[in-house]
Formats: sequence, C-alpha cells, structure tokens
Amino acid sequence: MSNLVIGGSTLDASWFLGLAAILFVLGTVGVLVRRNPLVILISIELMLNAANLALVTFSRQLQNYEGQLFALMSMTVAAAEAVVGLAILVDIFRTRDAEDIDDLSELKG
Amino acid sequence: MSWLTSSQTIALLVLLFPAAGALVLAGRGWRLPRKFTVIVGPGAVWAAFICVVNLLLNRVNADFTYWTWIKSGSFEVPFNLLIDNLSLFMGLVITGVGGLIVTYSVGYMEHEDDASYARFFTYMDIFILSMLLLVLAGNFVFLIIGWALVGLSSYLLIGFWYQRHSAVVAARKAFVMNVIGDVGMILGTFVLFVQYKSVTFSGVFQGVSGCPPPQFLVGCFPSVHRGPDSLAVELAAFLLLVGAVAKSAQLPLHTWLPDAMEGPTPVSALIHAATMVTAGVYLVARMHPIYDVATYAHGAVAITGAVTALLAATIAIVQVDIKRVLAYSTMSQIGYMFLAVGLGAYSAGMFHLLSHAFFKALLFLAAGNVIHAMKDEQDMRKFGGLWNDMRPTSITFLIGSLSLVGVIPFVGFFSKEQILGAAFSKPGDSAALILWGVGALTAVITGFYSGRMWWLSFWGKPSPDRPVEHPHAPRLVMMVPVGILAVLATVGGFIQTRALGVGPSIVSDFLDKVVTPQRWEENGAGIGVGIATMVLGAGLFWWARSLRPWSARFPWAQRLLEHKYYFDEIYDTVFVRPMDWVAGFALRDVEKPVIDGVVVDTGVLTRAGAAGLSVTQSGYFRNYVLVFVGGAVIAAVILIVKANS
Repeated sequence: MSNLVIGGSTLDASWFLGLAAILFVLGTVGVLVRRNPLVILISIELMLNAANLALVTFSRQLQNYEGQLFALMSMTVAAAEAVVGLAILVDIFRTRDAEDIDDLSELKG
Repeated sequence: MSWLTSSQTIALLVLLFPAAGALVLAGRGWRLPRKFTVIVGPGAVWAAFICVVNLLLNRVNADFTYWTWIKSGSFEVPFNLLIDNLSLFMGLVITGVGGLIVTYSVGYMEHEDDASYARFFTYMDIFILSMLLLVLAGNFVFLIIGWALVGLSSYLLIGFWYQRHSAVVAARKAFVMNVIGDVGMILGTFVLFVQYKSVTFSGVFQGVSGCPPPQFLVGCFPSVHRGPDSLAVELAAFLLLVGAVAKSAQLPLHTWLPDAMEGPTPVSALIHAATMVTAGVYLVARMHPIYDVATYAHGAVAITGAVTALLAATIAIVQVDIKRVLAYSTMSQIGYMFLAVGLGAYSAGMFHLLSHAFFKALLFLAAGNVIHAMKDEQDMRKFGGLWNDMRPTSITFLIGSLSLVGVIPFVGFFSKEQILGAAFSKPGDSAALILWGVGALTAVITGFYSGRMWWLSFWGKPSPDRPVEHPHAPRLVMMVPVGILAVLATVGGFIQTRALGVGPSIVSDFLDKVVTPQRWEENGAGIGVGIATMVLGAGLFWWARSLRPWSARFPWAQRLLEHKYYFDEIYDTVFVRPMDWVAGFALRDVEKPVIDGVVVDTGVLTRAGAAGLSVTQSGYFRNYVLVFVGGAVIAAVILIVKANS
C-alpha cells in the first residue's frame, strides 16, 4: 500500500478507504433504519459520496484520472437523482396522507 | 370504361342492380319512409329483368371474362359470366317470376314493422343476386359461391320470423341439408380440377367432351368421348348430383323443404318453388357434357327424380297444411324435371321448370292470399267455402291446380306430357319405360291431392273453425301478380306444344342451341297414353270432391304417409341422436373434467404459489434495501474469496 501526499503530509491510502467504508456503512444503516424519506435521501447521498471518495483515492493511487472523472460524473448523477427524488417526495406528501416511508407500503403482496 | 363492351356492362348490371338494392336497403332502408323500400326492393329486381331482356334481344351468346380473381401457379380463377341461352332462360325465370313475387310481397308483408319490412326486401334482393350469380357464373368457383349464397338467403328467409322457435329450427335444418350439398359440389369441383386442371366451364367441358371449342358446349356428336378418365367423370358427376339433390330437395336430402314452409309465403313461392329448388335441374342441364359421358350418374339422376316424384306425391295426399301440400307437390314436380334431364331430354326438363315456376308461384301466391285473409291459419280443414268469399283467388288457385294436374290447355299439360312422352318413347331404353310408369302414376296421384286441396279449401260449407267469418279481398298489389301468373299458367303452354307433336316448340329450339338436343320424338302411342293419364288425373281431381273422410280405410298407409315414410325419424335416430349423445359425452366426460379441470387446476396452483411468494413482498422500503444490501455483501464476499484464492 503506497502513501499519498496530501497538503505536505503523507497518509496511507487505507485511511481514505477506511473513511469511505465508514461513511458507506453509515449511509447504509441510515437507509435501513430511518423512516423519514428526507433522511433516507441524505443517507443515499452519503453512500454516493463514500463511493466517490473511494474512486478518487484509487485514482490518485494508480495515477489514473479516469476515477476522478467518474467521480465528477457520479456527482452529476447524484444531483439529478436528488432533484427527481425530492420532486417525487414533495408530490407524494402533498397528495397523500403519509407521515413516513412505512406508510407507503401498498405494494405488499 | 372502354374495356367493357356494352353487352359486357349489361351482363354485369344484371348482378349489380340487386346487389345495390340489397346494400341500400340494408344500410338505410328502415330509417327511410316505407315508400322508399317499396320502390327499391322490387325495383332492383325489375331493373335486372330489363337487363336480361336486353341481353336476350341482342342475342348475346358469350363468355365474358372481367378479371382474374385468384392466380396461384396453374390454379387460376377468373371472374367470368357465361351468357348463353340456358343462363338467359334461367335469368328470365328468376327476374321475371321473382319480380312478380317481390311485388306481391309489398302487400303480403304490410303488417310487418318498418325494420322487418326493409329486412325482408334486403334478403329478397340478396337472394335474387345469389341466384343470378349461380346461373350466370362461368366457372365452378363462382357457381359454388352462388350456390352457397342461395342457401344462406334461404336460411335467412325461412328464419325471417326469428321469434318463432319452429322457424329457427326449420332454417337451421335447411342450412345443414344444403351444406351437405355444398360439400358434394366442392368435392366434385376438386375432382374435375385434378383431372382437367381448370375450373372454368369451358376448360372442363372441353376436357370432358374432347370437342374443340366452341362445340364443347353442345358436344360434337355422334362421337361421345369415353376415355380412361371416365371413372373420375362418373365420380365428379355423382358428387355434383349430391349438390343438386340437396338444393332441389330430392330423396334422400329432401326433409328440409316441407319445414321451410315456416318462412313467409312469398318466400315459399320464390325460393322454395319457382327458383332456388330448381337450381339442381339447372345444374344437371349446365353440366350436360359431363352427364352425357357419365352414364351411371346420369341414370341416377333420372331414378332419383322418378322416386322422389312418386313418394312426395303420396305424402301430399295426407297433409292438412296447405303450404305443406304445395311443398310436397314441388318436390314431386322437381322430380319430373330430374327425370327429364336424367333421360337426356334437357329442354323438356327446363320447359317444365318454366311452367312449374308459373303455376307453382301462382298456387303459392293464391294460397298466400288465403293465409293472409285467414290471419295466418294454414290448416285446410279450417277453411272451406272460400269460393263465395274470395272468388278471384279461388279461380286463380283452380287454374294453378289444373295446370299442376296437367289438364289441357294449361301450361302444366304441355311440359309434363313432354317429359312423360320422352320417357315413354325413348328408343332402346326399357328402363325409361319403368320410369314413365312411375311418372304416370305420380301424375294420377297429383290429380287426387290437388283436387283434395282445392275442394277442401274453397268448396263446401265454411268450416266452423274458420278464423275469419268474412275474409277481406286481397289488395291490388297482391292480386295483379297473381293475375299475371294465372294468365301465364293458362296460355303459357302454347309456346311449346311439342308434346302433341304439332305446333311451335320455342323453348326447345331456344335451349337446344346450348344443351344436348333430345334426339327422339314422342310417338303416337305416347301421346295417346299421355292424354289417357291426363283424363285419369282430372277424373281423380273431380272425384276427390265427394270423398271424405279421406283415408280411414287404410290406417297403416295413413300412418306411413303422415310420418312421411319415417325419414325424419330415421335421420333423428341415425344422425341426430348419436350426435347428441357424442356431444353430451364430450361435454360431460371430456370438457368438464379434462379441459375445464386443467384450466381450473392451473389457476388454483398459480394462486397458491402466489400466496406463498407474496410473503416476501412486505411493501416496506427497508426490507427491499436489506435484501439488496445482503445480496451485495454476499457478492462482495464471493469476489474477495475468489480473488484471494
């Protein structure tokens, strides 16, 4: 595992990957346990950012810019997803009597 | 349209007028005033009549090909119309007598509501169209199309009063019987096509007779060609005979015709007496090059006709429904026509077709006057004494009856006597003499049942059961066609007095240009015997006046006749009941347990499976995410383990 030089100090890449893993797990747990749809959306953003961090880390480590470019694209997609997701949420809560995501369970078999 | 010569256009117009009439009436008829229906319905038929007369005056004799309908390899079906003396003769009968009957219907059907009134004339125009297509068609395919379409219009008109159960049943029976004939026609056409690679009349006849065009239509005598293909020709001739027998209500496919009397009386007059049921006679005459070669099938035609003539006449003795008497007498008279064409006396058979169209249409329409006045009562025992109340109808009915019996000078005498004379005098054919005997016996019986019918309905005291005390006189629009037909039935015979060996023979001269001419003349003995037969028949007609009760002396014979020789019972036992049983078995033991069972079990299984699987669908977002994450973790573990190993 090679070190990365960031702002004059040197850090092992595994620190960044560890942070990404922690953020991803936090996001996953948030999606799983929270009922507020807004928080779930934020948790999804967290997972996306964790993935971005991992992408950038590997890109830097492998001296390959594709990973950084892909992180930029994934941010664009995340922004679009947030816009669409929020629009849907606003519409659902305006037209329906629902307090949280568990109230939206009509599709159960 | 420059590619159509004027005769060609007129030949097509013969078909287009009734087609247009039917389309207009079917589309808008019942929304428009009744006057419109009255003009369009009969008008279309009369327009076709004018076209036929025009073709006749121009002496058109041609095979017009309009376009190619189907072309597939060597199989080619053109749309062609064969306009010759035979088809024009039939066209005249169909549109002329048809026009009179459709005009009569204007009065007869007046009690119907507007929608039914227009529907009736629509069906009538469809019938005229189909019948004209049948006789004008120049190839087997369009012949079969016309053949099937007249069966359809007959079905529609028998079942015209579809609220009556008996009418619906009768219509279905007629349709099924006719389809048996259609199948025979189609199979016969297959045989001919396989043998001669053609479906046009000209192609097939050329192959059968081996004559060069244009002689193949009349044949090139004396050489009658009998090649190695004679077996196929016999087979085809027998199959075509099946079609003719079914359409013309000959034994053994005759049981539908008496039931067909459920239809309105003008329908019985037009379809089940004057035109459609004579299509079988036309078919044999049209196919004469085939029957001239196929001697066995040709003999079968004559025998079928003679047997039907006798059996139908005997059944008519005991019938009490006036229309059923006429129905059996129609079968009997068509039997004469089959006898004639079966003996090779084609023009005699066609002459009887014409004369029968006159007097039988007359009888039916006059009977229609009576039925109309009697509030739809048809039982002759409930009439009686109508002579005083309905004098013109009684007289016209008497003219029709005497013509049916074949009394000089009515048209029936000359046509029937020409057939019997041809059978009596046919040289070197002893079997023809037997057929003559059957025909002569039938003629005598005809005298008896006609007399019984007339005296019972019109003479004597009014029956106490008579539904109407003072019957109303028929309307003018009904009486005029009856009058015209009565005149035709009286003087029509003078166009051909060949049966007496003197005078003109216009019909035979006209038709012998296209059918095989009858190559022998009636001898003097035949004329003498014929007149004796007539006197005997007329005597029985008179004798029937004083004879009642009619047949109590031979109860077994009466029972046999009243059950119509048990044909219906036999067909019921042999075909209908086993079919019912098979259908019941299939319903009870195949349809319900097997087919329904499989379908229902599939449904039950699917539902149970769905109930089990639907547990996994909780509807909660986090459950789905958990499964997704779990799957991703498992996939990741597998990947890592693989990468490390």
